[in-house]
Amino acid sequence: MRLLVTASEIMGLPVVTVDGGEDLAEVRDVIYSPGEGTLAGLTLNKRGFLAGRLRAVLPAADIHAIGRHAVMVRDETSLSSPDAAPEGVGSPDAKRDVVGDDVLTEGGVSLGTVRDLVLLVGSKGEVIGYQIDTTDGGKGFIPLPAQLSVSGSTLVVPDVTKDFVTQDLVGLGASVDDFRARLGLS
Amino acid sequence: MSETYRQTIGRKVVSRASAQELGPVSDLLYDARRRRISGLVLGHGRKARIVDWSQVSGFGPDAILVSDDDALREPAGEREEQAGKGKLSLVGARVLTEKGNEIGTVDDIVFDPADGSVVALLLGDRELPATALLGAGSYAAVVSADQDTAI
Repeated sequence: MRLLVTASEIMGLPVVTVDGGEDLAEVRDVIYSPGEGTLAGLTLNKRGFLAGRLRAVLPAADIHAIGRHAVMVRDETSLSSPDAAPEGVGSPDAKRDVVGDDVLTEGGVSLGTVRDLVLLVGSKGEVIGYQIDTTDGGKGFIPLPAQLSVSGSTLVVPDVTKDFVTQDLVGLGASVDDFRARLGLS
Repeated sequence: MSETYRQTIGRKVVSRASAQELGPVSDLLYDARRRRISGLVLGHGRKARIVDWSQVSGFGPDAILVSDDDALREPAGEREEQAGKGKLSLVGARVLTEKGNEIGTVDDIVFDPADGSVVALLLGDRELPATALLGAGSYAAVVSADQDTAI
């Protein structure tokens, strides 16, 4: 059983050290690398009421685990200044946001538009699928790795993706393995 | 022999040299790395004083004996000041696994009064071995992934 969360559920979660049990920051936003289909890192806010943006960022490599109630890091040194962080985390590309992009199959069928990213709970931030607004006005989830190319306004995904559109996160968790098997990925 | 946090809070601390009562225990200091009780906190806020575990000469059911009146010292450093304000108590702390999932709050701590070593944490009807505890601070106590009930 896979536990999944959407990127919007991560925003506002505290960033807590495993070693010290201290909350260093909270998640401001998710930095996503659409080309790779992976999380690049997290931008952060200071903790507390009306606290504002923290300059430091959290590269994905330094995430210990993303959970339902907190993002865990080893200790204070896990946060990086934007200059020291890997490219793409310190100064993220403006086109990195896939939310609102059209999801198009290779056969030219639109499945809908991207609403949110879906991540695997307990991982370092593995992006496992997208939540989409389907063309018939409903909501659905599609598994990754699915996109063949990404332009900044459109994701192109394999035709079989349309057979793996599920209605909820539990369904997505169950369909990911079948989907990857079908594509010969695992 | 074992003691619990809740049994210890409120127990009087007495100087062996003067037989003076120094005050009741208000909290216990905890060293997550060594998994031991490292000291006693007496009083609150500005009047909070610390007794290092090494000063404890007798840990009995009715009183805790320390060598002399000088066993009391002012809180030193940020952690002890927070502890004096009651902000660092392990009991009542939320418990996160290292996977980032919350599994409850610490209801009590079981420790060995002979050396202060912590034996277990009690969460509701669950008993977690002290070895599961990875770190503890002002936000949470963090325990190992194998204690995670969510995944």
